[in-house]
Amino acid sequence: MSSQYIVVVGCGRLGSILASRLSSQGNSVVVIDPHENSFNNLSSDFSGFQITGDASEIEILRSAKVEQADCLLAVTDKDNINLMVTQIAKQIFQTSIVLARVFDPAREQIYRDFGIATISPTKLSADAFMANLPS
Amino acid sequence: MLLEREKTNRYSRFLRQRYQAILGYTGLIWAIAGVVILSPLLALIFYPEEIGLAWGFALPGVVLTIVGGLLWRFLAPKKTISLSLPEGSVIVVLAWLIAIAVGTIPFMLIQGLNFTQGMFESTSGWTTTGLSVVDVTQASRLILLYRSNLELAGGGGFAIVALSAISGISGAGLTSAEGRTEQLAPNVRRSAKLVLSIYSGYAVVGIVALWIAGMGWFDAVNHSFAALSTGGFSTRTDSIGYWDSPSVEAVTIVLMILGTLNFLTSYFLLQGKFKSVIRNGEVKLMALVIPLCALIIFFGIAVNLYDTLGKGIRVAIFETITALSTTGFSTVGYGDWSSLGWTILIVLMLIGGGTGATAGGIKQFRIYALYRALVWEIKRMLQPKNTVTEPDYWQGERRSFLDDSKIRTIALFIFLYFLVFFIGVIITAAYGNSLPDSLFEYASSLGTVGLSIGVTSADAPIGLLWTQIVGMFLGRLEFFTVFIGIFCLFKDLPSIFSK
Repeated sequence: MSSQYIVVVGCGRLGSILASRLSSQGNSVVVIDPHENSFNNLSSDFSGFQITGDASEIEILRSAKVEQADCLLAVTDKDNINLMVTQIAKQIFQTSIVLARVFDPAREQIYRDFGIATISPTKLSADAFMANLPS
Repeated sequence: MLLEREKTNRYSRFLRQRYQAILGYTGLIWAIAGVVILSPLLALIFYPEEIGLAWGFALPGVVLTIVGGLLWRFLAPKKTISLSLPEGSVIVVLAWLIAIAVGTIPFMLIQGLNFTQGMFESTSGWTTTGLSVVDVTQASRLILLYRSNLELAGGGGFAIVALSAISGISGAGLTSAEGRTEQLAPNVRRSAKLVLSIYSGYAVVGIVALWIAGMGWFDAVNHSFAALSTGGFSTRTDSIGYWDSPSVEAVTIVLMILGTLNFLTSYFLLQGKFKSVIRNGEVKLMALVIPLCALIIFFGIAVNLYDTLGKGIRVAIFETITALSTTGFSTVGYGDWSSLGWTILIVLMLIGGGTGATAGGIKQFRIYALYRALVWEIKRMLQPKNTVTEPDYWQGERRSFLDDSKIRTIALFIFLYFLVFFIGVIITAAYGNSLPDSLFEYASSLGTVGLSIGVTSADAPIGLLWTQIVGMFLGRLEFFTVFIGIFCLFKDLPSIFSK
């Protein structure tokens, strides 16, 4: 796999794992989080850049060079922020691959209307529960 | 009891696995160091008459390359693994110790130095100090070029940079162990490649510029390498003073500044992002310190000592920059300077160059950060108790804030620096040198500068040379790495070999 430029928004439990793994695979990774302490979640595999700031502000996204990114992952724990960031990336920066995490399945339709691919942990775990039930 | 043994067994199995990887990676660095030792042989194309000396380089170089290569081939893990800071430190310490030790051999075989002198010269080369016990008028071209190549390689942290470029080790453990914390790109490998290309680009431009300025090709190559790596080995006894030419001095000054500039700042400079360059703390500090010290040296010393005004100005600027950048070229002797000039040079040597560059010393960033912290402290006392302050500084394009833990690390480092400095001065003075001589010479060793006022020579006492060797080594690797690396080795070795 060739090296990609990936921006990860949110450095909590999920964001830090994603960023660390992507970085150790040799990708260029920039991770954004408003709290500097969150970067402690990153493993020692991580060798990318860290940006402290609110990703819903366009200046922060600019400083992360989103316009050059191949891929943006919005994985904060706030659905609305994820939606907003991915929308900005898609509309203004024309990022080709944009993925958002969304907790509330009811909102997935809105994302779909904007053309943003989503991953919903709620739905994934619901599916997993269902699959393990005796039919 | 059984459980206990099971636990230690598992731990030593784990350690053995890690150390196998560490040895594998170290092997690659050894192989690269071997190639560096072989590299002067390229000059045989131009100077075939020195073929008789080739064996002195070929023997240690080939052996080290093969041993390193085999370790790399058989021990390095196939999958990329990430290294922690302690593991990086172990690699760095092992790699440097062996590179220095094997680098000693050509000096002993060809130049006829004894073990201590060879060790001194090799350490001085790898750590880009530039103090020398070799009589350059009696040295072959191969040896001279060999010394310059050592500096070029040691200055760039070549081996380590190359290691991350080739092997694709992930994680920042290794780079930060060698004192290269800031990255140019959000990816270790790309960062390392960028550093390599900037550095070699500078070297080539430097050679051509020095040749245009009036040096011969051989001298141009040597001085470009030595200036850029802020090393300071010269091919002449009088160093840059031999040419006594403004254009040679100007080119050397530019190369020394480029060498002492953080690679990240260099990168922004090349990209034309001047805003990021100007707001960098180190650049600000240099912009203040260089003119100020040059003025003091000019009015305090040069104006009375040298016949022409032009010569005075040149000396003031050149000597300031050679000391601050920790290069150690000189255009004049310092024997006839007053104490004022010596003090200024000692202070400059203690401050040293930029972080993440090829320079040594305390580093400009630490001085700048402490200055900011001091101002911050005073401001906080003047303002109401609950005022929110944010003492920020720029690192490249990233705005960072000073906090207590950063200030603590920096303050401890500077304490350690002065501790080692004064121990070194005491030992130097104990060998019968005067206090100014001891201060000057040890500041020069510990800051990997290489300016000398005559304490360092081939017939210096063995103990004194070893004191300087230790100083150069600690100064280059910034204490903590050496301590952590050695501590880890001693802590882990018993459990690795326990059954």
